[in-house]
Amino acid sequence: MQQFDFNRRQAMALLTATTAFGLARPVLAQDAPLKVWAPGIAKVGGDDWTAMEAQADIAIANIAKSARADEAIQKMVVGDGNALYDAMTDNGGGMEDALASQNAIVELDTSRIPNWANILDSYKDGGGSADTIRYEGKVVAVPYISNADSLAFNYDEIGEELTTWEALFDSQFRGRAAMQNDFGPTLTNTAIYLKQSGKGSIDNPSDMTEDEVRQTCEFLIDLKKKGHFRTFWDGVQNGADLLSSEEVLVSSCWEVIQIFAARKNGADIRYGSMKEGHQSWNNVVMLTRGGQERGMEDAFYKLANVYLDPWFGSRTLAGLGFTPQMTGVGDYIEAHPDDFDADTKALLAERLTRKEERLANPGNAWQNVFPSNIRAYQDWWARVQAA
Amino acid sequence: MATLSTDLPGGRKGAAGARMERWRAVAARWAFRLPLVFMVLFFAVPMAATVVFSVFERTMFWMEPGFTLFSYENFFFSARLENFLTSMKYSAIAVAICFVLGFPIAVFVRRSVPQVAQHRVVLLFILPFMVSEIIRVFALRPVLQRNGLVNTTLMDLGIIDEPITALLYTHTGVVIGEVLSFLPFIVFSGFLAMEAVPKYIFEVCDDLGVGPWRRFVDVILPLAAPGIFAGSVFIFVNGLGVALLPNILGGAGAVNAGLIATQAITALDFPLAMAVSAIMLATLMGLLWIGHRLFDLTRILTPLN
Repeated sequence: MQQFDFNRRQAMALLTATTAFGLARPVLAQDAPLKVWAPGIAKVGGDDWTAMEAQADIAIANIAKSARADEAIQKMVVGDGNALYDAMTDNGGGMEDALASQNAIVELDTSRIPNWANILDSYKDGGGSADTIRYEGKVVAVPYISNADSLAFNYDEIGEELTTWEALFDSQFRGRAAMQNDFGPTLTNTAIYLKQSGKGSIDNPSDMTEDEVRQTCEFLIDLKKKGHFRTFWDGVQNGADLLSSEEVLVSSCWEVIQIFAARKNGADIRYGSMKEGHQSWNNVVMLTRGGQERGMEDAFYKLANVYLDPWFGSRTLAGLGFTPQMTGVGDYIEAHPDDFDADTKALLAERLTRKEERLANPGNAWQNVFPSNIRAYQDWWARVQAA
Repeated sequence: MATLSTDLPGGRKGAAGARMERWRAVAARWAFRLPLVFMVLFFAVPMAATVVFSVFERTMFWMEPGFTLFSYENFFFSARLENFLTSMKYSAIAVAICFVLGFPIAVFVRRSVPQVAQHRVVLLFILPFMVSEIIRVFALRPVLQRNGLVNTTLMDLGIIDEPITALLYTHTGVVIGEVLSFLPFIVFSGFLAMEAVPKYIFEVCDDLGVGPWRRFVDVILPLAAPGIFAGSVFIFVNGLGVALLPNILGGAGAVNAGLIATQAITALDFPLAMAVSAIMLATLMGLLWIGHRLFDLTRILTPLN
C-alpha cells in the first residue's frame, strides 16, 4: 500500500480503534487491583486479603509495609512510591501532614464514603483527634485502628492489678522491666509519668523541649545504671517473647504484644490502664497522588468504606485488639452471634470498655513522629543507650 | 587426489579468522578489566557517595548539597562515640574467642584429616549458613533465656539454683551471637592460611623436638598470619555492623555502629547515617592498611599460586 492509498474506510477503522482504546482505559483502571501498601494489621478475616476484597467488592494487591516512618517518607517523597501504590497506611497525627505537604497524598471526598457517618466523634471537626486525619483543614486520611499504649504485666507472678506507670519504674521489678527500643513512645510514656506524678517539669509529653527531653532521659539513665531494664524490645515477636518467657514481668508495649504473649504461654498476662495517661496513636489509610492519577479513587473509597464498617471494627478488636474507629461495633457483635460466641463477646466487651477508659484519660499524649526537637530526642536517646 | 578447500572465495575465512582473533584479544583484555569495572561501579562509587552525602545538609525529609561536618561532630562529640567504642571492645572479644575456638579446628583439619576429606570437613561449617541469619540468631533465645535450654539443664543437674541471666540481653549475649555467627569465617580463613604451612613442617618440628606452643608461635602463626588477620577483620567489622545481633540478643540500649546508622535513618537523619558508614569504612580501611603493612595480605593467595 502506498502512502496515498490511505482511504476513508481505513481512516474510519483507525478512528474506531482509537476510540475503543480510549474507552477501554477507564475500564482497565476499574479492573486493575487497588495496590495497597499496608502491613498485615490493616486486614481482617484471614491470612490473606480475600475477605477484605469480598467486603469491599474490589480486587486488592497488597504490598507488605513496615511500621517505619522513614521507609514511608523515603518511598513516597524521595522514591517512586506514587508510581507503585494507589493507597497506603501510616500513623496519623504526623505522617499525613508530612505526606500531604509533599503532595504525595491527596484530599479525600468523604461524601463518597457512606460509612463516614459512623466515624467516632473525636474525628469530626473540632474533635480531639480531628487533626490526625487532616492537613490544612482538609481530610486526607481515613482512620482504621487506634490505641492508647499501656503497661503489660504478668498477673500470675505479680498477683495484683497495676494501674500506674510507677510500677514499671519500681525497684521490685529491677532487671525484669522492659520498654520499647524507640525514643518516640518510650520517652513519651516516661514523660507522661514524670509530668502527672509531679516528678518532672514537662509541659507537652508529645513535643518536648530540649530541657524536658534531658529530664526524661536522665531519669531513664539513672534507672538503667541501676540495672532496672532487662532490655529494650524491638518488634512484636521480640516484645511478646520477653513477656511469655517471663524474662520480664512488666513491659511498656503495644496491646498486640500482650495478646500474643498471653496466647503463647497461657499465663495471665494483662494490659493495664495507667492513671497518669498513655501515648495514644492511630493508623490511617490514604489515597496516593499516583492512585488518583491512575483513576483508582472508586476502589479506594470502597476500601475506606470497609475500614469504617463495624464488620472491620469488630474483627480487628477481636483479632489483634485494636480500637475500632466507628460507632455501632457493640450492636454489630450482638447482631452476629454466629461470628462471635458468648466468651468472645464477653472478652470484646471488656476489652472495648478498657480501651474507651484508656482513650478518655486526660493525661494522654498523642504519638508524635516528628517532634520539633527531634535532634535532642536522638542525641539523648543515644546517651540512654550508652549509659 | 584433489584437495578439498574450505576457504571461501575471496579469502573470507582469513578475514573472519582475523576478526575472531581481534575479538578474542579485546575479550581477554576486558576479562581482566571487568572485575575492576565491577569494583568501581558497585564499591568505589557507592562508598565515595557515602562520604559525599555525609557532609550534606540535613533537611526535614532528606538532605541537600552543601558542606558541613556537623554529622561527624554529632558522632564524635556525643554518646554515639561511646557506643561505637563499646561495640569495638566486644567485637574484639568476639574475634579473640573465635580465634581460640576456630583456628585450632583449622589446624586440626589441615594436619590430621586425610587430604581427600579436608574440604568435606570444612564444608560442614557452611551448613549453618544455609539457614537465614535472623532465624539462627533468634533460635539462640530459647537456648539462652531465663527458662531456656541451658538454664533448665543446669538447674535440673543441680549445678545452679537460680537461672543465669547474663547469657541473654547483655553484652555477653551479643558476644555469644557473634561467635556463633562468625566462627566459620575464622575456620575458613584459618584453613586457607594453613595451606601456606607445608605438612612436612609438622614432621620437622616433631623431629626437632619442638613443643606445641613454640611450634604454634614461631612456625604456624607467622606463616598463617595473613589468613588469620583477614578472618579476624571480617569478624570484627561484622561485629560492628550487623545490627541484628545487639537488637535481638543485647540488653537495654545495646548498640553497634550498624544500629546507630539504622536509628539515624529512622529519625530521617541521613547525613548522620552516612557519616557513621563513612567512619566504619575508614575503620575497615585502616585495619586493612595496618594488616597489609604487618603481614602482606597478598600472601593469603600464595597457596593458590
